[in-house]
Amino acid sequence: MRAIQDFFSRTLAYWQAAPMALVFGFFFLLPLAATAMVSFWEYTEYSIEPAFVLTNYSDAFDGCISSLPDLCTTFRTYLSTLFFCGGTWLLTLIIGFTVAWFLAFHVRTMTMQIVLFTLCTIPFWTSNVIRMISWIPLLGRNGLMNQLLLSLGIVSQPQEWLLYSDFSVLLAFVHLYTFFMVVPIFNSMMRIDRALIEAAYDAGASGWQTLWNVVVPLTKPGITIGSIFVITIVMGDFVTIGIMGGQQIASVGKVIQTEISFLQFPAAAANAVILLISVLLIIVGLTRLVDIRKEL
Amino acid sequence: MSADNTKGSGKNSGGYSRRTILRGSAIFAGFAATAAVRGFPAVKAADATTLRYLGTAVNQSADIAKKVKEDLGITIEYVPVTTDEVTKRIITQPNSFDIVDSEYFSLKNLIPSGNLMGMDAKKIKYADKITSVFTTGTVNGKTIGDQGTAPKKVFYLEGQYSKKFASSPTEWITLIPTTYNADTLGIRPDLIKRPIEHWSELLNPEFKGKASILNIPSIGIMDAAMAIESAGIHKYADKGNMTKEEIDLTIKTLIEAKKAGQFRAFWSDFNESVNLMASGETVIQSMWSPAVTAVRSKGIPCTFQPLKEGYRAWASGFGLPKTLEGKKLDAAYDFVNWFLSGWAGAYLNRQGYYSAVLETAKEFMQPYEWAYWMEGKPAEQDIHAPDGSLLEKAGAVRDGGSYDTRMGAIACWNAVMDENAYMVRKWNEFIAA
Amino acid sequence: MSAERRPASFYWLAAFFALFVLFLYGPVITIVTLSFQGPEGGLTFPMRGFSTYWFSKLWEGIGVVDIGAALRRSAALGVVVMLLTVVFSVLAGLGLRQRFRGSGILFYVAIASLIVPSIVVSLGIALEFRIVDDSIKAFGDAYEVGWIQSSYTTIMGLFTSGLGAHLTWTLPFGLLIMIAVFNRLNPAYEEAARDLGASPWQTFRFVILPIITPPLIGVAMFGFTLSWDELARSSQAIGAYNTLPMELRGLTTTVTTPAIYALGTVTTGISFAVILSAMALTWLIRRRRARHGSDAGKGMV
Repeated sequence: MRAIQDFFSRTLAYWQAAPMALVFGFFFLLPLAATAMVSFWEYTEYSIEPAFVLTNYSDAFDGCISSLPDLCTTFRTYLSTLFFCGGTWLLTLIIGFTVAWFLAFHVRTMTMQIVLFTLCTIPFWTSNVIRMISWIPLLGRNGLMNQLLLSLGIVSQPQEWLLYSDFSVLLAFVHLYTFFMVVPIFNSMMRIDRALIEAAYDAGASGWQTLWNVVVPLTKPGITIGSIFVITIVMGDFVTIGIMGGQQIASVGKVIQTEISFLQFPAAAANAVILLISVLLIIVGLTRLVDIRKEL
Repeated sequence: MSADNTKGSGKNSGGYSRRTILRGSAIFAGFAATAAVRGFPAVKAADATTLRYLGTAVNQSADIAKKVKEDLGITIEYVPVTTDEVTKRIITQPNSFDIVDSEYFSLKNLIPSGNLMGMDAKKIKYADKITSVFTTGTVNGKTIGDQGTAPKKVFYLEGQYSKKFASSPTEWITLIPTTYNADTLGIRPDLIKRPIEHWSELLNPEFKGKASILNIPSIGIMDAAMAIESAGIHKYADKGNMTKEEIDLTIKTLIEAKKAGQFRAFWSDFNESVNLMASGETVIQSMWSPAVTAVRSKGIPCTFQPLKEGYRAWASGFGLPKTLEGKKLDAAYDFVNWFLSGWAGAYLNRQGYYSAVLETAKEFMQPYEWAYWMEGKPAEQDIHAPDGSLLEKAGAVRDGGSYDTRMGAIACWNAVMDENAYMVRKWNEFIAA
Repeated sequence: MSAERRPASFYWLAAFFALFVLFLYGPVITIVTLSFQGPEGGLTFPMRGFSTYWFSKLWEGIGVVDIGAALRRSAALGVVVMLLTVVFSVLAGLGLRQRFRGSGILFYVAIASLIVPSIVVSLGIALEFRIVDDSIKAFGDAYEVGWIQSSYTTIMGLFTSGLGAHLTWTLPFGLLIMIAVFNRLNPAYEEAARDLGASPWQTFRFVILPIITPPLIGVAMFGFTLSWDELARSSQAIGAYNTLPMELRGLTTTVTTPAIYALGTVTTGISFAVILSAMALTWLIRRRRARHGSDAGKGMV
């Protein structure tokens, strides 16, 4: 009896992690292994053949060396994706931090906090499919924004850069993902002992000094987790970039999706593997800076 | 908040999305036939008289399902997905449907998978009445353009489970046509204010920032080829099957136009093309006939502009999964036979598509309807959509004229090229440029 | 921060927050406005009249029943995904408090599950289930299992492959949040409970659970919302019958009337009602708890 109990308490962590591990194993790792395997297969115009070739990878980097200093398609696509990733990360971080700050330190009752949080989540309950369509009447040539700007006399011509541009893509990303940043940062902020802040004030620190030297370091876990959410989602996105960029802006996800819809599974698989490796490198880089698991 | 829902852009989107019922209600009503919660895997025997119909929402009309139920007692369960999903599901989930409505040009990819079977012509009552556009590639005895994946090239299989297309008629048919039509440029005459006669206008700097093409590589590149050939830059041997050099040239021309700011946006489904045009974001773009009607029904002037170089055509049809057998197989044949027998054909013709067997459809249409839709004559009375909404007032003439004129002026068909992989890579380069 | 008077920064931040909320509501406002288009109106501005025409269209012709079926499927899946996400995340979160062999792998797998483009995951699952289907059929043929031979089609479905696909999307979020929560959990509480003779289960039930309840509500809401709106992972893995976003996706490619906005308005209205009742419920529970005098979990949303 004692032995059994010992065995269980020694291996308890494994049992606890098992359900999630099984789900990931069956629904993620196995499919992923299949994907990795397929990325080495050959494909012709009409069929896929088991093999071990590297052509899918070399095709992905086709002309990347020879066309230097011009960037090849893949580098250009990654550069564009990284640009949106960085831009979105910075914007969501600034906005998300400010919003979380307000909710954590200026809203006094928990009920009010819940009310305001809910207020922020309601827009996401309208199907994303329908929300996406509504950007055109909002930002288009004859859209609400342009009408507003025209009637206020701020501009004399409808502004075209509002839609189908880098601007609109960033706007949509910020719209979709700021909340992924707010929630974890808010969580971290709520765990800061209020006495610390008062102590900082008492010691004569200004608001900014308190913010920079006390609050930011203490919210680092929240910032890290929010950053992981935002960076990983934006790196794999193709819908938002597609719709808001008028399908004229490249993204890694879009390349993969195009290849899949043309049934070029091996090429898509190879690109997916490349994407996975590059994003994992970013994450590993982050974990070098801070031990995420400990800091979370 | 899903990061990546599929903004449909598979090569299939071309054909499917366009086959659109003009009124949303009819489409929504299509779900009347969808059964209640059915989440659990279908391990028990499904009801033999229920057919799971995979396709896009466009052909999945509730009226058709209701009529089938009345006439044959077969329940149609629609599974609406986006256009590129249809192809992918045939490849990845061939057990998830009993009948599929797919596009002819994707057959080159689908047949080698072995997931579809040839349909027995002996069991198709109207097999020999199917329009000659499919069987021989002719209209009224006149041979029409067959560049690209013309249906006649992929209409027959060498055997029921063969993975090879037959060059001459056999008794095994790949897909039984449901709808087909020919596409050209749609324009906003009120904003362009001059006649448009050539595909080359698509790349005319006059419309800088106001033009659009399809972001479905295999189809978009053909639209571009029509424009390039029309501008006298290059004459293609087969726009639906380019050489690598031709692909390079076409993409290079597109990249130059893109860098010069020619395009406002690219579109990939029916609804996007209508929105772009109706909101005035674009004034000229390749377009489908029902999309033009949809813009016009909002009171916005829009023309489906016939051009000197002709049309790019498309077609889709019913296919059966190889695993279908027994009662379900019989029911599927019954349904296909019913579909060809006229009622459904008339229903589709009234939406601006063309049906597979013209003579049976004619019996179900009023003479004035037939004259307007098929003969290109001025409407004697107001023209209504199947749901009763007004499409055109008396006196209107259909853009592009009669069936014979339209189908007779086909220049090429939607296609899958031999250099498909290379083309897709170059297309990605174009998007990234 | 218990000053009686609001500092000036409060008003700046409040204004910033209000602008942010306005921004979040931009598309929703557009959708609601345009759903009242006149009968002639389209999907874009200008408004051509003002009417409830498209709502009546939605009601009569659009077959509310059928959208209803997809809605029920999505809701059922969403609830199951939500529950499993909460349970599995808590368990894994508890387990990952210790570093054991493989714990790092689990963590990185969870991260990777977020990264890999959803369409790739979806495709992988579809291929996997086809292999399973084929194996079952081969088994049926080999051993002449009657019912497999005669009626087996596929085990793909909403609650097999579909559920799995959704979990690969929601679990990473749940896990990351729970790790963050447990890292901050002061072990003194548990030690105190143990010292007082509580069994591990009692410690969990009466000490840990009350503390982690608020973040758990967050995980649950994440889980449901992510599943509810999920499209790409479902696309190849859901089996024959569609979830609501897929059905809508199929519709939006073809519907070009404001009826689609009317549908958006109606679903938003329903969501609103659901959330309000959920909030009322939490409020009631909170009041009950307040009466019982427990302050566990305060300040830990």
